[in-house]
Amino acid sequence: MALSRDQILAAHLALNRFGLGARPGGIRRIARDARAAIEEEIATPRIAHIPQRRLPGYVDACQVVHTSFEAEYRLKERELSARIAKHMEPEIGFVERLVMFFSNHFSMSINKDGSILATLGQLERDVIRANVLGRFEDMLLGVIGHPAMIAYLDNADSIGPNSPIGLSWGVGLNMNLAREILELHTLGVGGGYGEADITALAAIISGWSYVRGWEADYRINGGNRRNRGQFIFREDWHEPGAQVLLGRSYGQPGQRQGRAALAALARHPATAQFLAFKLVRHFLTDTPTPDLVDPLAEAYRQSEGSLRAMARALIALPQAWTLPLTKLRTPYELQIAEMRGMNRTYDPKERWPFSEALRALRNLPWERGPPDGYPEETAYWMGPDGMRVRLETAQLNAWALQGIHNYRKRPMELARSLFDDALSGPSRVAIAGAPDQLQGLTTVFMIPEFQRR
Amino acid sequence: MATTDDPRALPPAEARLAAAAAEGCPDARLLMSRRALMGIGAALFSTAFLPDFARADTNPEARFLVVMLRGGMDGINLMIPKLDPRYREVRRGLAIPFAQTLSLGSDFGLHPGLERVHNLFGRGQVALVPAAGIPLKNRSHFECQDNLENGLPANVSNATGWLNRLLGSLPAGDPIRERRGLEIGDAPLILRGPEPVLGWSPTWFEKVDEATIARLQTAYGAVDPALWDSLARGLEADRLARDSGAGGGDLGPLRQAFIGAARLMRAETGPRIAVLSIESWDTHSQQGGVTGYFNDRLRELDQAIGDLRRELEAAWDHTVVVCVTEFGRTVLTNGDRGTDHGIATVALMAGGAVRGGIYGDWPGLGPKQLYEGDLRATVDLRSVFKGIAADHLGVPPEVLEATVFPDSADAPLFAGLIEAPERARRPLAAHVRPPTLAETAPIALYRRSHGL
Repeated sequence: MALSRDQILAAHLALNRFGLGARPGGIRRIARDARAAIEEEIATPRIAHIPQRRLPGYVDACQVVHTSFEAEYRLKERELSARIAKHMEPEIGFVERLVMFFSNHFSMSINKDGSILATLGQLERDVIRANVLGRFEDMLLGVIGHPAMIAYLDNADSIGPNSPIGLSWGVGLNMNLAREILELHTLGVGGGYGEADITALAAIISGWSYVRGWEADYRINGGNRRNRGQFIFREDWHEPGAQVLLGRSYGQPGQRQGRAALAALARHPATAQFLAFKLVRHFLTDTPTPDLVDPLAEAYRQSEGSLRAMARALIALPQAWTLPLTKLRTPYELQIAEMRGMNRTYDPKERWPFSEALRALRNLPWERGPPDGYPEETAYWMGPDGMRVRLETAQLNAWALQGIHNYRKRPMELARSLFDDALSGPSRVAIAGAPDQLQGLTTVFMIPEFQRR
Repeated sequence: MATTDDPRALPPAEARLAAAAAEGCPDARLLMSRRALMGIGAALFSTAFLPDFARADTNPEARFLVVMLRGGMDGINLMIPKLDPRYREVRRGLAIPFAQTLSLGSDFGLHPGLERVHNLFGRGQVALVPAAGIPLKNRSHFECQDNLENGLPANVSNATGWLNRLLGSLPAGDPIRERRGLEIGDAPLILRGPEPVLGWSPTWFEKVDEATIARLQTAYGAVDPALWDSLARGLEADRLARDSGAGGGDLGPLRQAFIGAARLMRAETGPRIAVLSIESWDTHSQQGGVTGYFNDRLRELDQAIGDLRRELEAAWDHTVVVCVTEFGRTVLTNGDRGTDHGIATVALMAGGAVRGGIYGDWPGLGPKQLYEGDLRATVDLRSVFKGIAADHLGVPPEVLEATVFPDSADAPLFAGLIEAPERARRPLAAHVRPPTLAETAPIALYRRSHGL
């Protein structure tokens, strides 16, 4: 079947701007209609689902919380292996990119507490993946009500000052989670909220806690063997009475107050705009403009917060197919693209080149310290020191491919299978000039076709 | 790949993590995974290395390096209080015999592992504060490191570090600000914030050969000149920082980091403010005395300061290095021949710009002199930082009070730590307020620029 150069270029764009990078020959397999291939991915039911097999559900993952560091860490390793194996499956990987986007939107670090270490993988599977083409409201409620987020943003000990416990212990609210919900998860900075709204939201979600290991072990504060690590609503820690958030009063009893407030935040127009802005910035350009952002926000509002509708609106933007590929892959995306290019599955026993490279490049999955997530801007990742380390780790990965995985394909053959006619003349010259496979593979990983997306 | 640089010669992180998890205090494992095992990483804030900077009238010679001793460093055994009759009794098997200390005068002796530091003390280039502390006193690694780095009162959190706020409060065009802060290895809170930061990291990966780099230049060429520009500058900075001499590759990552920092800071247009960390001061067990684990850590620090002095060359005369830690250790030794998390500890300053000496009172080891059973702080670390910032860098005190260390009236500026104070020489800069989140968040900029 004859394919035009334009079709090949569109397929290259689809695989890199919207996907995780080509697998060998993938560019020709989707080139007949690249956009249709993405739409097909979006339409596939449960495309983001990872079959459970031996991975634990919510209750079982929570059972591991605060048992031992080793047990928590082992579980996290299994979750990470499953995540990366999943990245290898799809031909394009647009939905996987969305999973990574929303995981980073609700960024947490496993290094803050064992409860996060043990359950973050389960959260990503059962909350992010389950809703990545569903309603944002469900994702938001699922994340904020999950022990990992409650531990990460310090809501576990947030106590209403006028609650029974607050009055007797003289303790108060912790504003962290409430502040970040407004600033990072929903409305965004400049989205029309003030300090009073942060305090109100903190009061609304006071008592949203989880069962710490010691509470389960000693059966105190409502903890027991069965609910170890799980979300718990502590009624007597909850600030009583109605709260006014963004000019609206919430008088619902108990936990329902928080659920109502979060649902309203998810539906707020500023949330639609913030998510649209972030998606455009992630996929298209570091300087989003309203002509790009508004159609996505509009799709979100029209569909009552459907992320599938938003994803379709993104693909439907004419500019999505014409803007040049100016963004730089993040180091994590780069590692995944290299593995897909080698048609190689993830081997947890030989993961050190993967993790050491990402450690050096400061992009280890689930290990961003601050809650704002890994930066989206290309300027952040394209700094001189970052580029220098990128080059060194490209060679490390090439070395690992040869030494550990016995990779024998010629670099030019690899480049042709990944980029086809999208391979530039200068890139071809650079690859052809490499005297051996190590230098050739290093060059393939570093050419603009591999780095930009 | 060259056999001598087989990357697998180094233990993978997982093995180190498992080893770390097997010992230490309850949160040491998480501390390890957060700090030490983040290891040597790339600093990626930089959009330009060694940028062009606007010439200004202020003195661009002053260098300021903050060394974070992470884990809680035992000041009582670094600077031994010969004046305190209770020392030998409380430190028992860990006590350093006075005869073996390096003399700091009649009151204190320096641990024998710090020979170079002692030599510099003799030249009047080391200042020691025996009992310094941060506002927060809850003995948690995480929270105390954050408190040390955010420069705020106890139990106040903030996403920005005080050194970033300091840089942001200098006027536009100020050479110290224009050259930016430099983070070596990791990305500490102290430099986090809206002000852009440079980075360099000593990596242990095999270097890529020049021929491959030349081929990449061809590939980027006219297609992607920005990518080449950035890579070329990163390689140039790395060459500048790395010890090119024979045997340079044998240096451990810590020495490479200090040597690299010095080489970048001594460059005419290089950064003037830098931060690096030394891990593993959390001596819960088998701490040792004159010899042993703690002594090894001190020798490492001593060597690092020696490396800095040598590599900074003439710039050493304009340098202040301050070594600080989140808390000290317990006065009493524990059952494992170690010490647990305490309160006050030593702050150590070195450099040609330092006015050498011992500063601040010794609070005493007597039961009634202690704070919650441990060494009481007689000097707030924020006072020390303010003294250096004002007298060495020339930051106006009112800026320090308003934005760098807000709500720190209880920690007055500690004057006299610097030999030739800048404050007297340098005209006061205009008071500049660092930008707020509402002014810098990308979504806020988008909303404002489009009138939304």
